Amino acid sequence: MRKAMFSLFAATAMAAPAFAAPVALSNDVFVERVSTDADGKRKVTLEAPQVVVPGDRLLFVLNYRNAGNKPADKFVVTNPLPAAVQYAEQGDSDGLLSVDGGQRWGKLGELRVRDANGAERPARNDDVTHIRWAFNQPIPAGATGKLMFRAVVK
Amino acid sequence: MTSKLKLLTTGSFVAAVLFAAAPAFAAGTTAGTSITNNVTVDYSVGAVAQTQRTASNVFVVDRVINLTVAEVGTVTTSVVPGQTGAATTFTLTNNSNDVLDFALTAAQLAGGVAAHGGTDVFDVTGMSIFRDTNGNGVYNAGTDTALTFADELAADASVTLFVVGNVPLAATNGQVAGVRLTATVREGGVAATQGAAITATVGANTAAEDTVFADAAGVSDAARNGAHADDDDFTVATATLTVTKTSRVISDPHNGTTNPKMIPGAVIEYCIAVANSGGADATSVLINDPVPGQLTYTASSILLNGTVTGSTCNADGTAGGTFVDPLVSGTITTVAAGDSRTLVFRATVE
Repeated sequence: MRKAMFSLFAATAMAAPAFAAPVALSNDVFVERVSTDADGKRKVTLEAPQVVVPGDRLLFVLNYRNAGNKPADKFVVTNPLPAAVQYAEQGDSDGLLSVDGGQRWGKLGELRVRDANGAERPARNDDVTHIRWAFNQPIPAGATGKLMFRAVVK
Repeated sequence: MTSKLKLLTTGSFVAAVLFAAAPAFAAGTTAGTSITNNVTVDYSVGAVAQTQRTASNVFVVDRVINLTVAEVGTVTTSVVPGQTGAATTFTLTNNSNDVLDFALTAAQLAGGVAAHGGTDVFDVTGMSIFRDTNGNGVYNAGTDTALTFADELAADASVTLFVVGNVPLAATNGQVAGVRLTATVREGGVAATQGAAITATVGANTAAEDTVFADAAGVSDAARNGAHADDDDFTVATATLTVTKTSRVISDPHNGTTNPKMIPGAVIEYCIAVANSGGADATSVLINDPVPGQLTYTASSILLNGTVTGSTCNADGTAGGTFVDPLVSGTITTVAAGDSRTLVFRATVE
């Protein structure tokens, strides 16, 4: 399975000028549909974003690959959130969030925002403006990875 | 794509996450909005910062169509026979994420149970739909404007509508007329013109803006059909009056007031009782009674607005009324629903 995906990804990366850009990146979005079968089991399916309406849950998937022959370090992936989506969660992908357009970064519980009348309160999901993953280890040549987060269409 | 989807679906990340309650976004992002996600990677190779890499993804928010027609209030609208411009109130809410027109139709129920439990037995006439132009929640004839469609209703906006009709004079107390207001979505975009009919996108989805119906089932329409309806009703509440006239001998010239007999010179007291068995108060009830030729009216003996206990006239009330030979007349201001009021007068046998 992983191999299948890998080759697919390599094909995508090939479209870009691979030699000039040793790091390849792709950005996909899926709509998560939850259905409950006759036994009451919940089933989650992912669909391409064709029918998307407010309230739908989206799964953003960022795939990266170091297509060069040297390690890439100081590797930082930054994703500003589109205005029409609200951040939901990122599972265990361990990214840092910003609620001020990317000036300060932290876990949601560490961030605070000022409301209209100047009072400070803990940041909420709907305050999140950016998500960022900063790697403290170099990405070896040929290595791939995947980052994910969820958001909801406003 | 398929292999990637499978991988994601079976991955621990997906399985481990429970879905939190989705936040509510009312009508939400406007249909047709493109959501573009841009992601960037900054990195270095051999301590030299490299050109930033970016990737982006664009998709279009589809149009979800949802509307609600709801009767305002939880009680029937009371009307009286012959009433013109009787109005019952509805709200129409556009829960879609797009500006839309809504075609409106008002219909009579044909029998069956009306909105508030009564049985539909009559129709109002001249029925039409009005918009609450001045926004006061009450139908104002001449101010509120008639309409056949709600024009350019914005996402999340609602409008108050009145179904207005005339009540036939022949309607009787307690009769019910049920009415139904149905709204059907139409394309918006052109003011003062009802847009084209809308159909949900069927078959294969498109990457462009699709249309999805999400409306609930109404009283007469299915869920997800782009229409919604609700019922309300008019109930006739009128006064139903019955009149009874009783008399008794008060005195005669020989026995006085002890066991008086109906002989010449005897004083007779008449009691005219008006009973209202209807559902509404009767006002300005005028009573006329010609005094028979063999009797002489006792001057200033009229008592108005007296009471009845059981079927016994209490011969009380306040002085009033007029006598224009031979007619005794008096007006009772109000006979409340379920109440009885009397006019009492005396006369002497010639």
